[in-house]
Amino acid sequence: MKHHMFSVKCGLAATIAIAITAHANDPWSEKAIPQPVNISDYQGTLNKQQLLSLIDAGNTLFSARFTSEDGVGRPMATQAIIPTKRKRPPRSEFARTAGLDANACSSCHNVPVVGGAGDFSANVFVSEGFQHSDFDTTDPQFSNERNTNHLFGAGLVELLAREMTSSLIDQRHQALLEAKATKIPVKHVLNAKGVEYGFITAYPDGRVDTSNIEGIDSDLVIRPFSHKGVMTSLRQFTVNALNHHHGMQASERFGARWTSTDDHDEDGFEKEISSGDVSALVAWQATLAPPLPLNVEDERWMAAAQRGEQRFKEAGCADCHLPYLPLSSLAFADPGNMDAAGTLRMGEVPDTVYDMALLDWAATLEKDENGDYKVPLFGDLKRHVIADQQVAAFGNELLSQRFVERNVFMTTELWGVASTAPYGHRGDMTTLREAINAHGGAARPSRDAWKALDEASQTDLIAWLKTLVITP
Amino acid sequence: MKKFVYILMFSMLSVLSASSSQAEDLPYQGDIPSLHEEAVAAGIKHSYDGPWEYFVGGGVSAFDCNQDRMPDLFFAGGTNDAAMYINKSSPGGALAFEKSDASPLSVDKVIGSYPLDINNDGFLDLVVLRVGENLLFEGGPDCQFIQANNRWKFAGGSDWSTAFSATFEPGNNFPTLAVGNYVDRTAPGSPWGTCHDNELHRPASDNASPNYTDPLPLSPGYCALSLLFTDWNKSGVNALRVTNDRHYYRGGQEQLWRLNSGRYPRLYSASEGWEPLVIWGMGIAEADLNADGYPEYALTSMGDTKLQILDLEQAIDENRPRYEDMAWTRGATAHRPYTGDDLKPSTGWHAQFEDLNNDAHLDLFITKGNVERMSDFAQFDPDNLLMGSEKGHFSEQGSAAGVALNTRGRGASVVDLNADGLLDIVVVNRADNISLFRNEGMISEHGPRQGGNWLKIELQQKGANRNAIGAKLSIKTGNKVQSRVTQVGGGHASGSAGFVHVGLGVAERATVRVQWPDGEWSAPFKLFANHHVVIERSKNTFSQWFPIASTSTTTPE
Repeated sequence: MKHHMFSVKCGLAATIAIAITAHANDPWSEKAIPQPVNISDYQGTLNKQQLLSLIDAGNTLFSARFTSEDGVGRPMATQAIIPTKRKRPPRSEFARTAGLDANACSSCHNVPVVGGAGDFSANVFVSEGFQHSDFDTTDPQFSNERNTNHLFGAGLVELLAREMTSSLIDQRHQALLEAKATKIPVKHVLNAKGVEYGFITAYPDGRVDTSNIEGIDSDLVIRPFSHKGVMTSLRQFTVNALNHHHGMQASERFGARWTSTDDHDEDGFEKEISSGDVSALVAWQATLAPPLPLNVEDERWMAAAQRGEQRFKEAGCADCHLPYLPLSSLAFADPGNMDAAGTLRMGEVPDTVYDMALLDWAATLEKDENGDYKVPLFGDLKRHVIADQQVAAFGNELLSQRFVERNVFMTTELWGVASTAPYGHRGDMTTLREAINAHGGAARPSRDAWKALDEASQTDLIAWLKTLVITP
Repeated sequence: MKKFVYILMFSMLSVLSASSSQAEDLPYQGDIPSLHEEAVAAGIKHSYDGPWEYFVGGGVSAFDCNQDRMPDLFFAGGTNDAAMYINKSSPGGALAFEKSDASPLSVDKVIGSYPLDINNDGFLDLVVLRVGENLLFEGGPDCQFIQANNRWKFAGGSDWSTAFSATFEPGNNFPTLAVGNYVDRTAPGSPWGTCHDNELHRPASDNASPNYTDPLPLSPGYCALSLLFTDWNKSGVNALRVTNDRHYYRGGQEQLWRLNSGRYPRLYSASEGWEPLVIWGMGIAEADLNADGYPEYALTSMGDTKLQILDLEQAIDENRPRYEDMAWTRGATAHRPYTGDDLKPSTGWHAQFEDLNNDAHLDLFITKGNVERMSDFAQFDPDNLLMGSEKGHFSEQGSAAGVALNTRGRGASVVDLNADGLLDIVVVNRADNISLFRNEGMISEHGPRQGGNWLKIELQQKGANRNAIGAKLSIKTGNKVQSRVTQVGGGHASGSAGFVHVGLGVAERATVRVQWPDGEWSAPFKLFANHHVVIERSKNTFSQWFPIASTSTTTPE
């Protein structure tokens, strides 16, 4: 009799289990990731159909509001870029300070559209995440506050950084060869696409003095992403952000290869984000159309903008906010060739290339006399000291970030700036005028030149900046 | 009721033990290096041979003798002449070596060797251990060596020397040299219970050049096979650790000599915490596995390898060198062959902690090989590659990696021979050619791939002790701290000099501090991964070093 009752109970339980088992594609599913993207479905140089398919998958993931059924949460892991265990679970999984602090990528990247920048309310708090990983205060001794950057044109930015880094590494190599051949030290000024990065001294024995490098790290890798310029690639940033903001851990860094477990954050979910998922997110971000200046029809605005662009150059703003950088190829390899361990690297999976020339917006890019694409980013992919004794607003932090001093930031690319207020790395400046006034340090002469302009000229300059929009 | 409690307890213990066993039996999930043996293709043909005296020894020194920062190799030959091979490898490429035929180092009866800069001229010198007179060679540019026993007043003796270590004692301009000796073949009753004393060669204090006129005996000697000066108690003063072969001594044990600066050496005793340990001691490897500043030691033997950890309570409170063995719990006993049908005990020789997959966890490489037709011990006895993991456990991956060859290993060096940040392995085999394993990268379904990030650091200081022997490095990545110390000694008759290698795992940058041999800490150096770095004490900055190939690379090195 007991046996019979046991069978009945088991049968009932099985029926209930069958009844409540939901599939990811069911309309009532609470999972946000329908199924992992299989990276082996996307190999070699993708044709347009394959590329659009991967981009579509990325689009879904970028706006997916991840849930606990996907693996949201990292009860036993911190937000750190290096897999780091907590000593104990946090009191609350979600917190606007140390994270989890968002449900979807698009929760913050949404101004003026998904993939865009973020409001002050979407600020994040970056810290190394090793000590005080549970900070619950906005006190700057624990973290730096960051406004959300937009991602339009990000693929072109990464390609520029890769080409420039390759050039710099080659220059270092040539200097070493020359030093070895001549048996005397060689001082070499580093210059990539017209941007100077200080100089190195190469010695005949293969040593290189890097102490006079400016604006990039001593390894010559241009890290073009984040306000601070400390992220190498969209892929690296994506893996970081998925963990930091959502507790969604990508296997390529948090998986068993590096942590001896597939559930590093101990939330009961293994392999939360596949390499294919990351690739899809990268493909979507990398192929977002670059912001192009608005064709102004209002004649008064057009005239003001033309004068303003001239004022911009005269004041020296364009010395750092370069109108464009030349790019030789639109072939975006993912993974790229500049990442280090912890982000998928070339050779770890079959090569995949996204040929951005297949996309409609590619035709809108002008070419220069060398046949290179003119990428109108209004930036130089270089870090500068941006605060001084008198003009110190941008030096308002206590913590350096990833070896970069507290008062040093990457030149903000101005493309799309008219669509992405507020301004400054903390997003606490409501107007362009405020942001310009806050430029100190290396930008002080330009800022002073701007300050010396009469009101009409300043307004003209603003009028020009207002043409740098993101067009949905 | 009581029975029920027992059953319950047993069930719980079974569960616990099952889980513990399961945890240990989990498949290794980290990277396994693909180690490709290519000695012949690399141009190396050399064998360590000879009768009984050469059943032990068979060392290799890996050091740069021609100032290109690429490690060259000096092999002991036993009854064959020792051989110097110059490194001609291209950076990141296949290994290539060229034998230096006219070298004065090509002497016979060589057991092993250790490189260090004895006279502080910036060129590495070489201590050559022999059956008979030990030799000091003064190094010069382009691998020029001159025998310097007379000039440095070093009595090479006539013993059977099998071990060596060196340290710069405080206040001395030149290093103190410790020589370990094996069986006294001339003593009555030899070989049983007739071990030579070991020797301590301290430099005379008032000379402009090395002067080792008055060596001290380290008595009793128990047939030492490895010596290592080590700062076991984080005092800043080295003691001398000696591992001894119980096969020949009588009443002996492992030893730890106290060497307070300039004073006569004295053995730590049982009453001071040093517990007798009797093993077939063959080699010593040191590493600070838990980064607490107190080193752990691997001791090779016949049968199980020891992995000793200091009893911190006794060490800190009472300065007692009491050790516990954790080889079993860490999976590092390596007591019998891990592949093949031979279940007899192994015979371990050289041991070295290094990070072969750059995952930021130290691995342990051990050479293995039957002494010479010892039927109670394994005949097929492959070298061990114990891969370290997150929780400190070791996992044997010798077969998968490619080092499980049917050779009789002796001395070895785990060293990056082609400057690609991946550690290669060179093994001296008895009566067989050298094994030269190139680390091709990590095994994957798509072929060898890159491992974790890495750093290689060279230390330089001016004046005495140019290469900062005894310096400690603290490498911080996130919350993790790794430590390294520059040493001369240990292993089995094999030494190395040059870059200190550190695996960084997924960290792309590290903060490195150096505690120089005199105890002074450097400022922190902020270093990016995957680079060779030279830190000069006289400067507050560092320089990078690049192996100069004819073509550049577009990936970060």
